[in-house]
Amino acid sequence: MVLEIWAEKYRPRMLADVINQKHVTDRMKAFVKDKHIPHLMFAGPAGTGKTTMGLALARELYGTEWKKNVLELNASDERGIDVIRHKVKEFARTKPIGGVQFRIVILDEADALTQDAQQALRRTMESHTGISRFILICNWSTKIIEPIQSRCAVFRFRSLSEDDIKTYIDRVAKSEKLDLDGGAVNAIIEITEGDLRRVSNLMQSAASLGSKISQDSIYDAASRAKPNDVRDMLNQAISGNFSESRKMLQDLLLKQGLAGSDVLSEIHRQIYSFDMPEEKKMVLIDKCGEYDFRISEGGNELIQIEAFLAQVSLLSKK
Amino acid sequence: MLTEKYRPDKLSAYVGQKSAVEDFVKWMRDWKPGKGVVLHGPPGVGKTTLVYAFARENNIDLIETNASDLRSSKELSETMSSAVSQKSLFNRGKIFLFDEVDGISGYEDKGGVGEMIRIVESSKYPVVMIANDPYSKKLYELRKRADMVAFRKLTVWDVMKRLQLIADAERVFVSRDYIHDIAKKSGGDMRSAINDLELVCRSVKPTVEDMRHSGLREREVSIFDAMGALFKATSARMARDSIGNVDKEPDEIFWWIENNITGEYEDPEEVAKAYDMLSRADVFRNRIRSRQNWKFLAYMIDMMTGGVAVSKKAPYRKYVRYQYPQNIAIMGRTKGSRAATKEVFSIMTKELHCSSRKIKWEMLPYLRIMAKEDGFRGGLEKEMKLEEGALDFLA
Repeated sequence: MVLEIWAEKYRPRMLADVINQKHVTDRMKAFVKDKHIPHLMFAGPAGTGKTTMGLALARELYGTEWKKNVLELNASDERGIDVIRHKVKEFARTKPIGGVQFRIVILDEADALTQDAQQALRRTMESHTGISRFILICNWSTKIIEPIQSRCAVFRFRSLSEDDIKTYIDRVAKSEKLDLDGGAVNAIIEITEGDLRRVSNLMQSAASLGSKISQDSIYDAASRAKPNDVRDMLNQAISGNFSESRKMLQDLLLKQGLAGSDVLSEIHRQIYSFDMPEEKKMVLIDKCGEYDFRISEGGNELIQIEAFLAQVSLLSKK
Repeated sequence: MLTEKYRPDKLSAYVGQKSAVEDFVKWMRDWKPGKGVVLHGPPGVGKTTLVYAFARENNIDLIETNASDLRSSKELSETMSSAVSQKSLFNRGKIFLFDEVDGISGYEDKGGVGEMIRIVESSKYPVVMIANDPYSKKLYELRKRADMVAFRKLTVWDVMKRLQLIADAERVFVSRDYIHDIAKKSGGDMRSAINDLELVCRSVKPTVEDMRHSGLREREVSIFDAMGALFKATSARMARDSIGNVDKEPDEIFWWIENNITGEYEDPEEVAKAYDMLSRADVFRNRIRSRQNWKFLAYMIDMMTGGVAVSKKAPYRKYVRYQYPQNIAIMGRTKGSRAATKEVFSIMTKELHCSSRKIKWEMLPYLRIMAKEDGFRGGLEKEMKLEEGALDFLA
C-alpha cells in the first residue's frame, strides 16, 4: 500500500467503502457470500471505482493472501497477443492456492487490447473456466468484441454525483486534517469531472502548495498540472515556428515517453481555443482526425503528429 | 572526380571567358622578366584550368603551389630555387603558378607574400598568380608588380554545353531540364555544376548496357550526397533514384529525409506537403511491417522520396548541411535512462494499479507538484522499494 499518494491511500479496501455504485456492490457482496463469481466486465468512466471494485472483491474473496491468486495486468502496457497467449494462459491454467475454487485475472484497460489479443483471450476464458475467472475493466464495452462480452456478466459504472464526490472529499479532508472551504470543494468538483483519482491528486497537490486549501489554490494546482507542454508546442506551430514545435514534440514523445494518442487528443481539445477563424479550426480538426486515423492504422506517432503541426503552421500563416 | 577528369587540356576545349583567354595568351607572349600576372574572378570559372590548358598545349612545365602547401617565405624559396636549378626535360619552358594567393595565411605562411614579390621580380620564368579577391589587403604590394586579368561568371549556356558533353561522355542520361537546372543553380560556377552533375551520375543506376560498354560499376553514394540529390530533384523519378545506391535501410533513409525537411524547405506550404507525403509513406511502412508484405516497400519509397521532392516549388539554391536523424540520435543517447525509467514505471504501475501511460499522462503532472514538498520523493521511494534517487526525475 502506497500511503504517500492519496489516490492509493484512500482507495477503498472493502466493497462497502466503494463510493456509490451500490447496484454493483450488492451483487459483489452476494458473490463473496457464495464464494463464486462468473467472468466479470466493469465498464464506465475513469475514476468511478472499477479497479477498486475488482481489487476489493478479490480481497474479500481471498483475505490477506489475496495477491497469490490474482494476476493484475494492464492491457494498455501489455496489449499484444503474446501476453494473452503466455502470461495469462500460464496463470489461468495453474491451480489456485489455499483451498479456493479459482484464481482471478484482472485485466485493466482492456479496451486497449488488440483485436488479435481479444480473439486469443476468448479461447483462454473458455478453456480454463474451472479454475480461473476474468475481470475485464474498460471505459467502453463497445471496444470489446461481442463473444467476450457474452461470456461476462457486464456491470456498468455510473458517473458519480456531486454528493458522491463531496463524500469522498470529506473523507480525505477529515483524515488529512485539511483546512478546506466551500469554494475549494466546488472548484474540485468542477475541475475533476467526477474522476476520484483526479480529486485525490488535485487535493494532494493543492495541499502541498500550502496548508490552507482555497478555491485559488485548487485552480493554481490544476493549472500547473495542465498539459502546458502541449499548449506551448501548439503555440510555436501557430506562430509559424514549425521547427521549434517539432523539437518540443520529440521531447514529449521520445524523452518524456508520452503516448502519441494522449498528446493528439489533448491537441484536439485545444484546437477550439486557437486564435484563428472558426472555419480554419474545423479544417484542423479534420486534419487532426486524419492523422489520428493514420496512427490507429499503425502509423508512427512522431511522424503523424509532426505532419499535423506542419498543417497548423501552414494554416495559421495563410 | 569529374571535375578533374574533364578539365580541358587544350585551349580549343576551353569554354567561355573569351577576353580573359585573349588577354592571358597575349600577356604570356609579351612577357618580360620582372612582371607577374594575377588572374582573378569568382570560383569555378576556369582560372586554373586556363593556365593548365595553356601549359599543356605549349609544352611548358607548371611549377605550382596552392593553399594546400605551406607557403612561408622559406618553403617558397626552397621550392622555387630547386625548380629553377632543375633543368627541364627537353629544355622546355616553365611557368610558376601560385594558386589561391588570397588564401595565403598571415601566420602560417609568414613572409610568404614578400617572398612571392621577390620571386616575381627576379624570376626567369613567368609568374602567374590566381585569386578570387585580388583587392585583398594582403596582396596590395603584389598588385604593383603584376598585370591583372579578370574572369567573369560563366553564362548558363556555357555551363549547359559543358555538362551535356560530360553526361554524354559518361553515358548517363540526364534530362535537358535537369541540366538547365544545375547550370542555373551553379550561378556561373562550372566546378560546382560539374560536381552537382556527378551526384546525379552516381545516383542513377547504370543499365546493363552501360555496364557492358563502359565497364561502369555501381558506386556507393553517401547519404549526404543522396539527400542533396533528393531535395534538389525536379522530378519524382529523379528523387527516387537518388537513394538507389545508398547503403542504408529504407527505414533509416526515411528518418534522414524527415530530419532534413525543415533545413531545406522554407515555405510552410512545402513543409506541410512534404510531411503529409512522409505521413503517407509511413502508413505504407506499417503495412509492410504488420503484414510482412514487402510489396508495399516500393510505395513507401516513392512517397518518401518523390513525394517529398515534388513538395517544393523550385529547388533551393543553397548549401544545406544535412543532419543525422534527431530521433535516432535521441533514442540512442537516452537508451540507458529510458531503461531505468521503464523499470521505475513498471513498479509504479503495480503499486498505483494503473498503466504506465496513465501514470505519465495523468499522475506525473500532479506528482511533480507534490514532489516540491520535502520528504515526498524519499518517502515514496521507500514505500515502493525504489532505489534512492529513482524519482529524481519528478523534481
